Amino acid sequence: MILLESHSVIILNTLTEKFAKAGSIDVQFVDYDGVRFHLSTPQRKTLLLLSMSIRCWEELVQYGAMDVIKREYGSYFKPDAEPEYNVSLEFDLEAIPEDAEAREAIIKSASLLKRNVLGAPFELAFSTQKSLEASASPADGSTPAQGALMQIHYRDEEAIYIQASQDRVTVVFSTVFKDETDRIFGKVFLQEFVDARRQPSIQNAPQVLYSNKEPPLEIRSVPGLKNSDDVGYVTFVLFPRHFSNPDKAYATISRIQEFRDYLHYHIKCSKAYMHSRMRHRVTEFLKVLNRAKTEAPSGERKTVTGRSFSTR
Amino acid sequence: MSNSLRPYLAAVRSTLTAAMTLENFSSQVVERHNKPEVEARATPEALLNPLVISRNENERVLIEPSINSIRLSIKIKQADEIERILCHKFTRFMMMRAENFIILRRKPVSGYDISFLITNFHSETMLKHKLVDFIIQFMEEVDKEISEMKLSLNARARIVAESYLTTFD
Amino acid sequence: MALLAPIIMDNGTGFSKIGFAGNSDPSFVFPTAIATRESASASTRAAQPSGRGPPIPSKSSHLASKRGIEDLDFHIGDEAMANSKTYGIHYPIRHGMIDNWDHMERYWEQSIFKYLRAEPEDHYFLLTEPPLNPPENRENTAEIFFESFNIQGLYIAVQAVLALAASWSSNKVVDRTLTGTVVDSGDGVTHVIPCAEGYVIGSAIKHIPIAGRDITSFVQTLLRERGETTVIPPEDQLKIAQKVKEDYSYVCQDIVREFRKYDVDPLNYFKRMEGEHSVTGRKYTIDVGYERFLAPEIFFNPEIASSDFLTPLPEVVDNVIQQSPIDVRRGLYKNIVLSGGSTMFEHFGQRLKRDLKQIVDRRIEASEVSSGALMRSTGVEVNVISHKRQRYAVWFGGSLLASLPDFYQHCHTKADYEEVGPSICRRYAIFGSVN
Repeated sequence: MILLESHSVIILNTLTEKFAKAGSIDVQFVDYDGVRFHLSTPQRKTLLLLSMSIRCWEELVQYGAMDVIKREYGSYFKPDAEPEYNVSLEFDLEAIPEDAEAREAIIKSASLLKRNVLGAPFELAFSTQKSLEASASPADGSTPAQGALMQIHYRDEEAIYIQASQDRVTVVFSTVFKDETDRIFGKVFLQEFVDARRQPSIQNAPQVLYSNKEPPLEIRSVPGLKNSDDVGYVTFVLFPRHFSNPDKAYATISRIQEFRDYLHYHIKCSKAYMHSRMRHRVTEFLKVLNRAKTEAPSGERKTVTGRSFSTR
Repeated sequence: MSNSLRPYLAAVRSTLTAAMTLENFSSQVVERHNKPEVEARATPEALLNPLVISRNENERVLIEPSINSIRLSIKIKQADEIERILCHKFTRFMMMRAENFIILRRKPVSGYDISFLITNFHSETMLKHKLVDFIIQFMEEVDKEISEMKLSLNARARIVAESYLTTFD
Repeated sequence: MALLAPIIMDNGTGFSKIGFAGNSDPSFVFPTAIATRESASASTRAAQPSGRGPPIPSKSSHLASKRGIEDLDFHIGDEAMANSKTYGIHYPIRHGMIDNWDHMERYWEQSIFKYLRAEPEDHYFLLTEPPLNPPENRENTAEIFFESFNIQGLYIAVQAVLALAASWSSNKVVDRTLTGTVVDSGDGVTHVIPCAEGYVIGSAIKHIPIAGRDITSFVQTLLRERGETTVIPPEDQLKIAQKVKEDYSYVCQDIVREFRKYDVDPLNYFKRMEGEHSVTGRKYTIDVGYERFLAPEIFFNPEIASSDFLTPLPEVVDNVIQQSPIDVRRGLYKNIVLSGGSTMFEHFGQRLKRDLKQIVDRRIEASEVSSGALMRSTGVEVNVISHKRQRYAVWFGGSLLASLPDFYQHCHTKADYEEVGPSICRRYAIFGSVN
């Protein structure tokens, strides 16, 4: 598995099971970036309630998450969310369509709840860019208009900043590595992200910039940025071709919001790989060392014919 | 093998072979104790002069002989912070398993990355020249292993970055 | 960030149970199997030191050759089973203990990132280990979890102790004690494990080579003897036998009377079961008869199925308790806890209790007689506790313990690990019981 998936396997499995056969349930689980889910049947077996709590909910609402939810989930959206959670969806098993394909679509989209909500600011940025592009650039050569800088504090110490301008959308991730090994591995990985674009085959990919410690120009005005060695900033510059049609935009959003998880996943995989290399090397060394051991005399020795062997 | 590595290893090999003339030696300080003198350091006359064999400023070997034990510490080449962390991880991984590596010290001597302690009991139950072979092979391979790990880390990082970025077309 | 629910992972020989603390069931139950590109024979060699190292990545920089990350090309659990044609399947755990650390590390990696979708840095973990697990295994586990995954904290609990904790959910349990005897019967083997105040009495543990798999094959033999299998296609026989075992079987109190009941009134007791041919879809029906009560009977009368193991389960339990220190025996008799799928038969607990009580009472009587009727015993209380969460009792016990507020204080944190090193995991404090 190289790329991570966008949907939650637990939602997918549980809903598939419950849609087929109603039963009471009450489970809590998580997704990346501290997202908490609660799937329950509070009133009756056929009324499933799926609630999600996400850290940056207020910010997301400000950037149009509500519209996205209403568009994606329509009548399943429950206006008053379960306490302690930010958003709730309600599935009445007696009211959902019988048709297997339609059911599958509902399940699939429910399992993408986190992706859709977190995708809202990106969608907003893409449409802002379109409208900026449509309005003619100022003739006098002054700085062209820019969209507002959106901040999404999706983790305690890390945030995503999105800004639309006339010909691009800039996405900045601030990253913090808690562990020294992770920090160094992360640096290697990020450097490759920057360099990879030199490959002719991925010329079309967004431009990636990485700066350690120093925040990039776009977000320098943001107050409260931490300035320490273990903070890094990764900038993705998305060009209009990355979201030229809805399908592309959809894929881009799914991909880019998982950047941090992808990076950390691979850092961890590398460490696991290093472990297996080291395990191998250690057994090799042990073999060499064991050659030095003198063989313990093994009692009675036999000749080929089976008689006892003894030296006189 | 590069030009300076061969004489470096040869020097370590002959010094080690010469130094590994160990005999049983009871403690002169505590009755019925028999401790490696190089660690106990209780009897100065049982200690011999320590010796450093240095390939360059980053790679060197410290050999501390004594009457019943010999301590050998290696400083492994670390060119940058990636090699430094990999080296640290690898030596730690080995020292975690010191139990199996009979002659490995659980902690390196300060200023070095990994230390071995060979006592007269080891040299009595194990073949001396094979022990030396082991140390030499370890020195050869540890450098190779660390640079290979670094290469593989870079290669992985590249593939990971490319796989991610190609999804954006 | 508010503390996220701890993750409970119970990796057993056959199946792994994985989920979040606070839930009553694991989120995932799938085989502890990993499918990799290397052939199955190569890995059995890899368990011993093998000649071939992990692949060294090529320096080729073009994507077309994705060499260098072959170690990411693998599947776990059900997906591993589904890909068995093109991949080699390995079982990293043998007899409850981890056998191949390389595979296990990758197995954990994918269960966390693909299935649980949790960032391990944000979570505490509770893992389980079999009784008598060597401390080196704990250290290796800790090394992987703290160094590879940077988890926040770790607690490794003994499976039997968690099974005891799981029994607190039963309303029959009045005090939350960690003293008791655990009868754990899964697919491969049945263990009887005595625990005193959270510590396993290692010297008294007994294993019984009769478990789920043996019951299934016994059911199959019975069906075949009665001629029912003529209608079942050969490839479905095992599945049908399993279904009979799971859906129709129960433990009877008296085998002779039960036979008579069936013979007098077969219409009432024989059940009809419908099956469907897995390939052609043809329907067929079979009669399910004596196997309904004979199947689990092999725990109590092993001679009907096996020829090499002849001690009935109640006797084994009694032996185990008699071998334990004398001052805990009362506690062990008083709290016998069932765990694992093969203890799910109806009335299993009652039968075990009755048979065990008989053994105990007989012994007391004999000692009273031999004392010349001078000593009077107050009797020994025998209690077998069965509860709703028996099937995944170990996992549920973990979920229960990890949702207690003092769980976090008993974990070893990443800071502790970095201070002391992996040897910190040699000891864990027992917690959760009231006394």
